Amino acid sequence: MKPNSITLITGLLLVVIFGAMLFTFQVRQTEIDVVTTFGKYSRSIDQPGLQFRAPWPIQRVYEFDNRIQNFERKYEQTTTRDALNVIISVYVGWRIVDPRLFLERFNGDIANAELTLEPLVRNAKTGVIGKHPFSDLISTNLADIKFDQIEKEMLAAIQPPARTNYGVEVELLGIKQIGLPESITAKVFERMRAERMRLVKKYQSDGEKEAAIIRANANSETNRVLTFAAAEATKIRGEAEKEAARSYDIFAQSPDLAIFLFQLKTLEQSLKERATLLLDERTPPFNMLNGQVVGPSTSK
Amino acid sequence: MMEDAGTQALSDALSSSFRIVKALMALLVVIFLASGMFTVENNQIAVKLRFGRPVGVGEEQRLKPGWHWAFPYPIDEVVKIPVGQSHTITSTVGWYAISPEEEAANVEPQPRVSMTPGVDGYALTADGNIIHVRVNLKYRITDPVRYAFHFASITNLLQHVVDNALLYAASHYHADVALYKDTIGFSEMVLGRVTQIIDDQKLGITLDPSEVRTTAPLDVRPAFDAVLTAQQQGRTRVSDAQAYATSLTNTAVAFARVISNDGVTASNQIVQNVAAEAKSFADQLPSYRTDPALFKKRRLAETLEKVFSNAEEKFFIPARLDGQPRELRLQLNSGPPKPKPEPTAKP
Repeated sequence: MKPNSITLITGLLLVVIFGAMLFTFQVRQTEIDVVTTFGKYSRSIDQPGLQFRAPWPIQRVYEFDNRIQNFERKYEQTTTRDALNVIISVYVGWRIVDPRLFLERFNGDIANAELTLEPLVRNAKTGVIGKHPFSDLISTNLADIKFDQIEKEMLAAIQPPARTNYGVEVELLGIKQIGLPESITAKVFERMRAERMRLVKKYQSDGEKEAAIIRANANSETNRVLTFAAAEATKIRGEAEKEAARSYDIFAQSPDLAIFLFQLKTLEQSLKERATLLLDERTPPFNMLNGQVVGPSTSK
Repeated sequence: MMEDAGTQALSDALSSSFRIVKALMALLVVIFLASGMFTVENNQIAVKLRFGRPVGVGEEQRLKPGWHWAFPYPIDEVVKIPVGQSHTITSTVGWYAISPEEEAANVEPQPRVSMTPGVDGYALTADGNIIHVRVNLKYRITDPVRYAFHFASITNLLQHVVDNALLYAASHYHADVALYKDTIGFSEMVLGRVTQIIDDQKLGITLDPSEVRTTAPLDVRPAFDAVLTAQQQGRTRVSDAQAYATSLTNTAVAFARVISNDGVTASNQIVQNVAAEAKSFADQLPSYRTDPALFKKRRLAETLEKVFSNAEEKFFIPARLDGQPRELRLQLNSGPPKPKPEPTAKP
């Protein structure tokens, strides 16, 4: 049978495919690989792409995730420098930087790695928190708060042993949760209630006080305004009397007439309304009823 | 002869089989190549990894929405990353314990007199008080390559970051300020902290408008409400006093004007009355000088006429013939009292 070119190509293709499966492997973008030869470390590859190897069991390829992993440490009680108990959990972001060491320590098991990192994290947390007073975490004086510094100190405490002993780089660390023992939280609630009650009394008394001041000022201002107005009115009347006094000079021409006219006016004004008069025959002109007639010679 | 026929038949059969196999193989190759076609949706971008390495550099690595082709796995691998759509992460450490049923029904749980670690979430404030904080962080992926290829479990990491941010902000704020007086500032500090960590770690995301809620612990909330009520009552008292002061002052100013006007009126009357009397005197003086006695009698008679006309009651009591004094009994003020005019209201 003549050799068929298509069959040949197909056969070659199959050889290439099988050859690739045996002699090549991929390092993915998110991987860092270790190649061992007869179980002994040969090389690490952290650049993605196609790589060549000898087929198993000569060489074996271990694939590790080179991305930043993260986990959360347990929410545990620790003690500050001023002997206050706080409950803190932290989170950690880490990645493999020495895959050979990582392989030797954990056989590539990330969960195992995190379990091993936990004591490091706990020790760093306890050690750093133990060097700081509670006010470095929580304080009314904002300048005292050293939240970031504490996180940096914990990170700095973890990084060297993690890198040296386990081949991992701890890239980030943060406090995830801060709390107090349960019994203390009950006391905090009591204090919060007491503080609020104090504020209630303060706001009530402040309101009363301010209102009283406003009312007193208003009363004072009112008295001042009215007193001033009365004084001005008296002054105006005084000036009017003074002006009127100039007119009194004319009465000096005949004081007798002036007095007589004033008395007539008083008599008329005072008996203007609701007057009851008791008269007898001596009161003119009623004396005429007795037959008396007053002439010029009898005028008084 | 028989063997030749049999061999020929076998050869023919094998030849047919080989043709079928070749056709099948060709079909498999076509299917193999066609299986590399894929689409990238509108809210996605894709990255093609060839032998594990991204194809292209920079922006070229990102395949935009549409039809694309890649060599089938294991040569090429396509990673699709959602972009554009908003994702939400909710904090886990700052809120009180609530069951899903209570949350769905929007019902608050029973107040608790203390906070159980690991069960109840809360944040400690700068003044050592306890508040609850919940953050609903919304974000979009803006650097999908960084987002997908540099962080494992990035949503977990974001949750840690959000929890850290709310603790950080609470530690810098007094409880009353975070709860009522400056909720906007508190929210800005939380989101600012998240943004700072996102930028420092280059997480490849951008924040969308997010929600930060604060509330007092359920057990002490009545005490906080009492403070708000007391503040309101205090403001009301001050407001009432100010209204009283305004009213009183306005009335005083008006009454002062009345007093002043009365003074002016009275002074005008004084001046005018005296001037009128002086003129009347001057007019009557010549008559008086002519005959003072006659003048007086005449004027007296005129005045008495008016007086007697105006008097309400007049009694003429003649003398007793025997010259003895007469006893007289009269009931005075027998009529109703005269109504007095109403005085002007004084503040």
